[in-house]
Amino acid sequence: MVAFAQVLFEGIVTGSLYGLLALGIVLIYRTTGVLNFAYGTIGAICACFMYILMTGPRIGFWLALPLTLLFALVFGAVVERLFARPVMHTPVFTKAIATLALALVLQTIAMQLWPQLTQAEHFSTPFEGMALRIGGVYISAVDGLILGVTALVMIGLSQFLTRTRLGVAMRATADNLAVARLMGVPVSLMFLLVWALSALVAGLTGILLASQSQILDIQFMDPILILAFVGAVLGGLDSLPGALIGGIVIGVADNLLALLLAGHTLGALNISDPGIRETLIFGGFVLVLLLRPQGLFGRALLRRV
Amino acid sequence: MTNTSPLLQIQGLTVHFGGLVAINALDLSIASGQIFALVGPNGAGKTTVLNCISGFVRPASGAIRFGETELLPLGRDRRAALGISRTFQNLQLFASMTVLENLLTAQHAQLRTGLVRALLPVGFSAREEAQARTRAHETLALLDLQPYADAVAGALPFGIQQLVGVARTLVVRPRLVLLDEPAAGMAHADVERLASNLRHWRDELGTTLVVIEHNMRLVQDAADHVCALNYGSKLAEGTPGVVLSDPGVQEAYLGRSGIGTSGVVSSSASPSATSVGEGEG
Amino acid sequence: MPTQHTGESAPPAALTNSMASAPDRSMRNDGWRSRLLEWRGALAVLGLLLLLALVPTIFDFWFGFSSDFQIHRISLIGIFVIAAFAQNVLTGYAAQPSLGNAAFFGVGGYLLAWLTNDLGQPYWVGILVAMGASAVLGIVVGGPALRVSGAYLAIATLGLVVIAGSLFDLWDTTAGRQNYDLNTLPALLTDDHPLYYFILALTAAILLLGYNVLRSRVGRAWLAIRESEVAAESFGVNLTRYKLLAFVVSAVLTGLAGGLYATWATTASSSMSSTDQTIAFLTMIIVGGLGSISGSILGAIFVGFLPLMLGQLPDPLVVGPAQMQIATLTTGIYGLLLLLALIFFSGGLRSLFPLARTWAQLGAQRILKRGAA
Repeated sequence: MVAFAQVLFEGIVTGSLYGLLALGIVLIYRTTGVLNFAYGTIGAICACFMYILMTGPRIGFWLALPLTLLFALVFGAVVERLFARPVMHTPVFTKAIATLALALVLQTIAMQLWPQLTQAEHFSTPFEGMALRIGGVYISAVDGLILGVTALVMIGLSQFLTRTRLGVAMRATADNLAVARLMGVPVSLMFLLVWALSALVAGLTGILLASQSQILDIQFMDPILILAFVGAVLGGLDSLPGALIGGIVIGVADNLLALLLAGHTLGALNISDPGIRETLIFGGFVLVLLLRPQGLFGRALLRRV
Repeated sequence: MTNTSPLLQIQGLTVHFGGLVAINALDLSIASGQIFALVGPNGAGKTTVLNCISGFVRPASGAIRFGETELLPLGRDRRAALGISRTFQNLQLFASMTVLENLLTAQHAQLRTGLVRALLPVGFSAREEAQARTRAHETLALLDLQPYADAVAGALPFGIQQLVGVARTLVVRPRLVLLDEPAAGMAHADVERLASNLRHWRDELGTTLVVIEHNMRLVQDAADHVCALNYGSKLAEGTPGVVLSDPGVQEAYLGRSGIGTSGVVSSSASPSATSVGEGEG
Repeated sequence: MPTQHTGESAPPAALTNSMASAPDRSMRNDGWRSRLLEWRGALAVLGLLLLLALVPTIFDFWFGFSSDFQIHRISLIGIFVIAAFAQNVLTGYAAQPSLGNAAFFGVGGYLLAWLTNDLGQPYWVGILVAMGASAVLGIVVGGPALRVSGAYLAIATLGLVVIAGSLFDLWDTTAGRQNYDLNTLPALLTDDHPLYYFILALTAAILLLGYNVLRSRVGRAWLAIRESEVAAESFGVNLTRYKLLAFVVSAVLTGLAGGLYATWATTASSSMSSTDQTIAFLTMIIVGGLGSISGSILGAIFVGFLPLMLGQLPDPLVVGPAQMQIATLTTGIYGLLLLLALIFFSGGLRSLFPLARTWAQLGAQRILKRGAA
């Protein structure tokens, strides 16, 4: 039972990371129609930037953090102007492929700038070794931090999008570009802000993931990006809470399956292999989509004739 | 007027959209060879009737019989195969294809070439393709569209696109054509011409037309039979003269969509209504 | 009076006139023109095939010892062309944004390896079974795809690739091997020259048959789905049947390409069913041009050749004062070129063809003018 609670907790923590990335994916997809496959790389580069600040000029963690978040905002804005703007009018699929190309370019540039990060490096945080034990469940400080930050980002984003003028303008842009433009929303500025904001979320996720695993390199976020995408689609691709919940569902499923399948074999087949786990997760995901083609929280599209 | 057995028989057709009753127990009977006009203010349910016939809307109850066939259980593609073709208000052309290709694609239900026979364009598939091309060219000629045969459909002016939409319905040698506002946005002279063309095409192809139209000049000039709808129910039915001069119909237009439309009704319908009515009767 | 009369009756006159005689005339015109164009195209294709058939001879002359190696590398482009064409049928024509084709690619490779190696079946049986199994899998994937669309379909089918990749990986580790080597290939196909001709012939045949299908009622039905599902259905296209057909055709061809790839590499590996592979297929059709055969070819060349060409750059590369290790840059340069291609030729590289024609015409005109002056 305790083992189960522990696994559940860890699932929620990992799932929160997927969920955070899914939030950013949905944010960009809804406003600019870009399925951003460079999103993991953007987060990873922010985390690497922080690592460089802490190891190069030996800036402390708590000073490096705000500097990195500032960097993330600027980075997102620069990527929007140099990259997203020129491909904005191409079809969705072309944009998606363009983000893959962008990821390759960004990774190459980062590798040239920071050659030490082509291999895994230790990412040190003030929370290393700090942990709590509540009713037998072991909670590390980083895990707590991940849950806290996720909750804050979710609440902050939804407050921002519903309560502030800027946020409402952003949602208007997402709902209907033409109408937003007619109402005088500076659409081009909105795109810039959305990219900056989502880069901030990616940067936060990158730092949290690096803190949790204590290592990072330039490609360390690639493996979780696909799962974040699955979470975003599971949540319906048009709702922020949906994306977060979708991500958490994936994280919990992954950890629970790992517990259930551990040490079991089926004939010659070792079913505790991560491959089987992935197969089951994706299989379940496809099943959910079959039952609800617009995801768990997505709105069904109506076809006008 | 309707001495032949009806080609299309609609009985007790009822459609709900959420809590709204879009069509309420509607009965219509359309005779073979007729040009049948559906009129009524916006939101009266005209397009919904068309969508029920072509299968894009599933009615809550009622029956639609096409010849001897019950339509409602059939899929949309099966209805097309029976010889029902239609246009759309937003045209829905195959925009990146040429006009000729649009007309070839429209003949899908009339052709038989499948994947295997398509691998090599010899024998059956070659003959069939040649026939399809001949039919397409004949239809383009009938509508005076030959100059546009190789033009990309989506790049043409709206008026031409409208005609291409009509050509697409006629190329299939249809038994029933459903036209959704064919005169939308047309200049006065073009409407007159369209009216005479509709009759010409009908005679030439021996088909039956159901036309939704706001333009009363077109209805007046082209239709054999008119049904006015309001709030999903039949308001009046009969010859154009009778229906368009019906006080209830004029009221529906006046009350619902303002001066622009009502002007059309009163100016074009009232003076000539009696004469047309007499002539037809 | 007569002028006024003709002026008034112009529309009906034109109508009857055109109905009587114009169809014949325009038919003949169309026939002539299109026949001429077809001939020009057919001649160009024949010339290209002849050139490609001569490539090994030219290479023998050019490269001497390393000719076999170079021909082997070029053969890969043919396999990519088949795979790109398969993806294009599904995505460029029938407009199904499926990211699942790498799964069929792997299935083709692994089934061929299993049937020829472990079950001792002849190569041809292996290829046919691989294609058949891909077809069945195509139906299994295509069925759900009818309910799911857009970005949802893209991510769901990407899931299929991840599943396939993990399962092949698991199969390899369970069997205690790294890759699945094909040890019993026909001797002919282990030789680079015959393999080249084999792949060339298959690719040419598939493109020719595919060209016919895409111009037929079937190809038009796929395009109609892309242009307007509503209109397609109202003219009798059964959406279910034709989307499914596109999935099956695409799966069969990708399965074949997978089998050929395993033959080419003499091994099947789980990386054949990876997100990278799926991305490569997609890149091919988007860079080359969606919904076009020439686009599939150009895209396959772009993806197949560019890394090879970049590999030919001098290493280390000296740019001004900076010296760079080219090996670490190739992926970045590749990504940058891809990005530039997408930004400046968003209709695909095949949009270069009309452009090149215009330039050629302008150039010819200028030369003619100069000659005249």
